[in-house]
Amino acid sequence: MNAVSIKNVTKKFGDIIALDDLSLDFPTGKITGLMGADGAGKTTLLRLIIGLLLPNAGEISTLGYDPTTNKDDIVQVIGYMPQKFGMYEDLSIQENLELYADLRDKPHDFEKVLDMTNLAPFTKRLAGKLSGGMKQKLGLACTLLGNPKLLILDEPSVGVDPISRRELIKLVKDSLTEDTAVIWATSYLDEAHNFDEAVVLDKGKLLFQGKPATLSPTAKGFEEEVVKLMGGFEDEPSKLAEDYEIVAPQSEYTVEADNLCKRYGDFYAVKNNTFRIKRGEIFGLLGPNGAGKSTSFKMMCGLAKPTSGTARIVGIDIQDNPSVARSYLGYMAQKFSLYGDLTIEENMNFFVGIYGLDYFTGRKRIAELKEIFGFDKYANTPTKDLPLGIKQRLSLACAVIHEPPVLFLDEPTSGVDAVGRREFWQHINALAKKGVTVLVTTHFMDEAEYCDHISLFLAGQTIAIGTPDELKASVGADNMEDTFIRIIEKSSIEV
Amino acid sequence: MKITLALIKKEILQIIRDPSTILVAFIIPAIMMVIYMYGVNLDTPRVYLGVRIEDTNPELRSFVDSISKSKYMTSYVYTDKDSMYKDISDAKINGAIIIPNDFTEKLEQGGVANLLVITDGAALNSANYVQSYVTSAANTWLSLSKYAHNIKSPIVNTQVRLWYNQSINSHHFILPGSMAITMNLVGLLLTSLVIAREWERGTMESLLGTHITALQLVAGKYVPYFILAMLSCCFSLVLCVQVFGVPFHGSIISTLFVCSLFILCCIGLGLTISTIFKNQFLACQAALGVGFMPAQLLSGLMFPINSMPEFFQTLTMLLPPRYFVTFIESEFLAGTIPKVVFTSAMYLAILSVLLFAVVYKKTYTRLEDKVPKEVKS
Repeated sequence: MNAVSIKNVTKKFGDIIALDDLSLDFPTGKITGLMGADGAGKTTLLRLIIGLLLPNAGEISTLGYDPTTNKDDIVQVIGYMPQKFGMYEDLSIQENLELYADLRDKPHDFEKVLDMTNLAPFTKRLAGKLSGGMKQKLGLACTLLGNPKLLILDEPSVGVDPISRRELIKLVKDSLTEDTAVIWATSYLDEAHNFDEAVVLDKGKLLFQGKPATLSPTAKGFEEEVVKLMGGFEDEPSKLAEDYEIVAPQSEYTVEADNLCKRYGDFYAVKNNTFRIKRGEIFGLLGPNGAGKSTSFKMMCGLAKPTSGTARIVGIDIQDNPSVARSYLGYMAQKFSLYGDLTIEENMNFFVGIYGLDYFTGRKRIAELKEIFGFDKYANTPTKDLPLGIKQRLSLACAVIHEPPVLFLDEPTSGVDAVGRREFWQHINALAKKGVTVLVTTHFMDEAEYCDHISLFLAGQTIAIGTPDELKASVGADNMEDTFIRIIEKSSIEV
Repeated sequence: MKITLALIKKEILQIIRDPSTILVAFIIPAIMMVIYMYGVNLDTPRVYLGVRIEDTNPELRSFVDSISKSKYMTSYVYTDKDSMYKDISDAKINGAIIIPNDFTEKLEQGGVANLLVITDGAALNSANYVQSYVTSAANTWLSLSKYAHNIKSPIVNTQVRLWYNQSINSHHFILPGSMAITMNLVGLLLTSLVIAREWERGTMESLLGTHITALQLVAGKYVPYFILAMLSCCFSLVLCVQVFGVPFHGSIISTLFVCSLFILCCIGLGLTISTIFKNQFLACQAALGVGFMPAQLLSGLMFPINSMPEFFQTLTMLLPPRYFVTFIESEFLAGTIPKVVFTSAMYLAILSVLLFAVVYKKTYTRLEDKVPKEVKS
């Protein structure tokens, strides 16, 4: 039996066709991974299944109900977790759970779900103060209340560290019974490989449906196949790196952190963080949510003042000489932090201005970057309306507009699809070869493999440092994800 | 019912956790009231006059005295015309009187004596005061002077009694009236953000994923903010009567009754804005533009409605503050007048029901409001 069946569904937003005569079924008793590039129509499909959006044509049956007319019946028996964190940040975990229990007319019996999510010790904490992984677990806990027959999860693992991600998957797998179903939209292809069923969408059309293993028995092979389905990825040299000219004093170590500490009251967000990065190296900061990666980052680029210790960029102390040090730095923030109401070119113009490039250099750089990243198509679109992948390219373009010798990337690929991530790393790898030093944080363990050195962070401290191979060898694992989890587990035992 | 209660409880927790709601509900009324108490004054102001006497007749001594002893005027005698003119230009004085050298001579002859009054036309309001003060001071002086026999007695004698506000203290009607502006602002600021916030933060999509109805959603917003705004309103009333000592002649019950209807209107308007804009910044701007400015200018508190052009007079009929200003002023100054209470209550009730209908109609339980055309029902 099918939990959801979709027949010839078309959904348009103005002239844009989000779903194009789509027909597919989601089986009961299985977890179905829903994959596709940005704008493939994943979120639209999920919203149509619940009845939050209405189709232009076609028929949908969700657990036997028609979402166009029977939305009320559907929402009583499903659990839906939207892409954006939907809990109230100014309410505590307990209060959020109580609210959703009341909304679903279920008893206030949270022992089981708190136990499963390991949130029991934090029930009084405000949801806004939780780390990314805990937030998602709370969202899932609220969604699971009342044992829904159909669980619809829209990219629940974006921005979540590997440990929390495994916990989320386990939670969902444990909740699955013979007569319930799960639809899980994701951009992590390795994650989708573990599910019972895979669905790949592109431009509103179905490209593949079936067991993940039929595409490839291994996670890596599966990823290759899905990327191929999504239009493939051409491994060509990065034009961004070709034209890149670094103008900066030469020094062997371009980024140095010297005993960086950040203390809030009695709490150390970062404790004695020391590392040096050689010119042209990619250095990865990995760690669970809330380990202090972003705080380290902010101290490194002078946005937060360290309690003690200091950082140097190309040998220049960020505290003594912040404006000079920062001029050698390109920074890509975790959230899209450009001006949403300006167009691509206006945003780039702004960065040309604040980095003090002269007029002609600025024009030249903008023209180059527009060509490299293919921005011409979106010339008149305000950036807030751009697809996620394009926003991320623009963030990178703005960070490198002044050709800095050092790049700081804070979760640069969060939420970006597999093809977009590959393109991104192609540029980064090529830039590093040209001598650009890169400091990056990520939750994608396959990206960690691109790093020359990795520093593993836990509770504000470095617990391991080395090349990816050294780290893998130290715990005897064959991939970064297991390495990450084992090192963290080992160290928590020590703590 | 359980769902509505859960939503109300959630909203109350959010109110308590968010210091800005407390700021809006209690600090804004206090600040507004202080501004209206000490900043706004519609009482007749004191004017500063320069006086230059070219006529040397000692009779005029008593005229100058009566000007300088007046409650409304302060006079400075100038001997030098130029420095007096300069002080007018420098706005040190509001105007000047020049008594020409043939002033008493003309009066003695029974003719018309000229008195030159110079005022600052750039400050028209105080210019008018200068003119009327000087004219009345001159007439009073004349009727008591030895030239009094020359004046013809007027045929009509106007007797003025100021009812309801004998002491002509404008604060006695401005402060209660200002509550219309304050409560309007508070009601709008509190509610214009609350639905937009749910859209912006993404919590709305989660809520819509549960079986919540539009009515529950709307009730969950109305009830907590109604309670908060009523508390804020009581706070303003207490400030007005206890702290600023405005006499209250009406009844507490009818006041609270009409206040609650007025607040329902304000909340309705705020929530309407909030459902339409779905963006906190826009909603806040719209609340100030749609709600606050017209309330200030068109409620009849500052500018009398019957001196407005007809179009605006009609427009004010749609503004809840207009009825509330009429009601609260009469309640404070004249006591409860059933007819006033009834008409204001009726209009406010109609408006609040209309606004509730709009909010309810505009609240969807889907992410889009219309069924796309191609769907066959």
